[in-house]
Order: sequence, then C-alpha cells, then structure tokens
Amino acid sequence: MEIRFFQVVVPLVALLFMANQGLRYRRGRLNLGEALFSGLLWIGVALLAVFPDEISNFVAALFGFKSNTNAVLFLGLGILFYFQYRIYRLQVAQRRAITELNRQLALDRFEKAQAPS
Amino acid sequence: MPERLPITLILPAFNEARIIEQVIRDIRQVGNFRIVVIDDGSTDGTAAKVLAMGEQVVRHPLNRGAGAACQTGISLARKYGWPYLAFMDSDGQHFPEDLEGLITTMQAQQADLVIGSRFAGTQNQIPYLRRFFNTAANILTNSFCTHHYTDTQSGFRLLNQRAIAALDLLQDDFSYCSEMIILAERAKLKVAETPIRVRYTDYSVSKGQDFQVGLLTAFHFLWKLIFK
Repeated sequence: MEIRFFQVVVPLVALLFMANQGLRYRRGRLNLGEALFSGLLWIGVALLAVFPDEISNFVAALFGFKSNTNAVLFLGLGILFYFQYRIYRLQVAQRRAITELNRQLALDRFEKAQAPS
Repeated sequence: MPERLPITLILPAFNEARIIEQVIRDIRQVGNFRIVVIDDGSTDGTAAKVLAMGEQVVRHPLNRGAGAACQTGISLARKYGWPYLAFMDSDGQHFPEDLEGLITTMQAQQADLVIGSRFAGTQNQIPYLRRFFNTAANILTNSFCTHHYTDTQSGFRLLNQRAIAALDLLQDDFSYCSEMIILAERAKLKVAETPIRVRYTDYSVSKGQDFQVGLLTAFHFLWKLIFK
C-alpha cells in the first residue's frame, strides 16, 4: 500500500490536537463530554486520512450514495451544518448575555438616579 | 376612569423622539398614571424629551429589542413593588382611553394578563400586509397555546401582580408578544382579550415589522421554543 503525504501529516495533526484536548481536560478546561466528543472527532479525521477509500466507500454504501466522492461531499456538508448550528447556539447565548448586562446596567443607573443625593 | 387601579404605564421606545411627547400628553389627558419610558438605546434624543416632560426614563445603553425593554419594565415593577403594569406602544398607535377596557376586563374576568386586541370586535383600519403578518403570527402562536387568541402580537397589555411575578421573557425581539402568552398559560395565569382601537399612520407603519423582521422573529420564536 502506497502511503501518501497527507496520510502521515493528518493523523499527526490529529494526535497533536487530541493530546492538547487531553491536557485541557486534565486542567479542568473541558468537561468529559467535550473531551470525548473532541477525541472522537479527531480519531474520525485520522481514520479517514489513513483509510480514505475504505471509509468513503463504506459511508456511500451505508447511505446509498452512488459514489464515495458524493458521500464525502455530503458528509462534509453535514458536518458544516452541525458546526453552523453550534455557532448559532453560541451566538444566541452571547446575545442573551449582552441583553442581561444591558438591562442590569440600565436598572442600576435608574436606581441611582432615583436615590436621594 | 382608570385611576381605580395603581397602574404604571410602560412605554418601550426606540428612536421615538418625533412622537413621544404627543404620546405622553395623550396619556396624561386620560389619567394620572406613573409613566416610565424604557428607552431601548435610542440615538435621536428620545430620553431627553421624556425627561424634559418630567417623566421617568430607564435607558438601555444598547438597542436590544422590544422584548428586552418589556422585561426591563417587569423587573422594575418587581423591584419597586408596582402592582399593575400596562404596556403601550410609543409610536402613537394606541389610544390610552382604551386602557379602561383592559382594566374592566381584568376585573370582570379575574384575569392576570389582558391583551388589547385589534381584531376582536372593533373595525380597525389595518393595512393588508400588517393584517397578513398578524394572521400568520396568530396561527403560529395559537398552535402552542391551549386557548385561541385573536391578537397575539398586540403591544397593548395589562399585567397584574401575579403576571409580573411569573413572567420572565427571554425573547429580545417582537416575538416576546407570543412568548408572554405561552409563558402565562404555562404559569396557569388567566389570559383575556378585550377590543382596542388602533390608528396606523405612515410613521407607525414605518416603525413596525416588515417581512424580513417578521421572518426572523418567527425563526427566533421557534428556535427558542424547540432548542431552549
């Protein structure tokens, strides 16, 4: 089996990220769920790099795609949508926080203005 | 007249300097209410005009939307122990005289939240597009409610102490109108409607929701209901 450049580099990068996430988990910056999710994601990326044809053919057969190229394309789209969803959730949470800060500030200023000097 | 109840009138306002003085004058003619304007990050001097008239203003440093302004009004009522809150649009669309109808309905039906309905009984001249948006919003909101409401998007509302204590709005934008009704039903509050009149001017129409804002509002409403 001929080993191509990306089949070495991508698993190494994935290993690096996994080690980093492991360290962050030990330091308490990630919870178990986040660490596991991240680990599984990078293992998936590494496996896809090492066995690109086998995995893409398997995914194509699983979901009924005609070719493995289509399978990879749709898988990629699915992952992009998922990340879009996560980013939107983050944005919603941040909007909420900004509103709360805004309201609290307004109420504090109002209270100060009402207080007899 | 409406002074029978110690009502605080909350006017959420965003860039209403052109009309806010007239709205306050109209309210003063109806009764001696405590008026509090929630200035939602206006940049046109709305707050200065209200202060010059001797009324109270709570100023949001940033524009966060009508829902955020209403929740600030509810927080104020809790903090200062105000027993009744009435919300009115500050674009001059509502008639302060109609507050009497809301009070009467609250007392007669022992309601906790009374909504002034533009579509219940009165023959209001409402632009077709606005009527269409409201119908769509009613269908969407009513599908999450146990009762049927004729005007889920009205900004003219009266809340009693139970409603003030129970309602915590999370929606910043106009979808707070639907959220308030759904939360009230979940909190087992009695919700009632009463007819109100409205006047649509070029100004008030320009301040209201358009198609794009309506779609976004519906999206935010559904998103928070589903993914909360």
